[in-house]
Amino acid sequence: MWVYEKKLLYPVEVTTCNPMLAKYLMEQYGGADGELAAALRYMNQRYTVPDKVIGLLTDISTEEFSHLEMLETMIYKLTKDATPEQLEKAGLGAHFVNHGHSLFYENAGGVPFTATYIQSKGDPIADLYEDIAAEEKARATYQWLIDISDDPGINDALRFLRERENIHSLRFREAVELLKDERDRKKIF
Amino acid sequence: MSAFDERMNLLKKVQQMDFVVVEWTLYTDTHPDDEDALEQWREAIKDAAAVRKQYENKFGPLSLKSIPSRQALEVGWRWNQDPWPWQL
Repeated sequence: MWVYEKKLLYPVEVTTCNPMLAKYLMEQYGGADGELAAALRYMNQRYTVPDKVIGLLTDISTEEFSHLEMLETMIYKLTKDATPEQLEKAGLGAHFVNHGHSLFYENAGGVPFTATYIQSKGDPIADLYEDIAAEEKARATYQWLIDISDDPGINDALRFLRERENIHSLRFREAVELLKDERDRKKIF
Repeated sequence: MSAFDERMNLLKKVQQMDFVVVEWTLYTDTHPDDEDALEQWREAIKDAAAVRKQYENKFGPLSLKSIPSRQALEVGWRWNQDPWPWQL
């Protein structure tokens, strides 16, 4: 089970309304390499991986949900005071007529989230390689977001998230090695 | 320092200490035999619990796993009370 913690994983400070930036951030909210996809991917894979890596998938998935909450906070704060005109100018007119000021799981182009973004193969090595790739793609997206954003508060949070993707990628690589060691030991004896 | 600033500073400390636990947890997931890391992980959990207690005594539980302090109840703490994390 999960217990809600009334705090963010890392502080998110937003001072200026910026719906255009919010639209871009949606890529990491409801996009193919975003936090929702990451959280759901690992949470689903953990049932059929060897016991040695269940903890890692559970813990990283849980952390991804806290990243999702950081993205929600950024998008919410960047858009909450925007007028319909400002939203329209930022390319969120279609979003506004369907969702008002509420958040929705979609990417920066407005495409709704789909489970086809993620895979679960029942093959631990295949799954972990997908996970490594997912972390690297998310890291790249965070870099592009930092490059396009000039909001210091948002960039601070984005840099934190970018570094987390690096760590997750590293841990998944180590998990692959743990499984390979186990496999090789089985062959010897 | 205003009460709000005091709260935010203490919250930041909780976030920092909790993050150390998150980081050591992932590390020990893939290094289960690293005794030094395991020791630091246990220490991090203790440190995080101490800072959390300090925050919660004053400003109320951060999760429903914590017992509300008398001080928090006296000032009218309720779970269903703003500010929520995205409202700060």
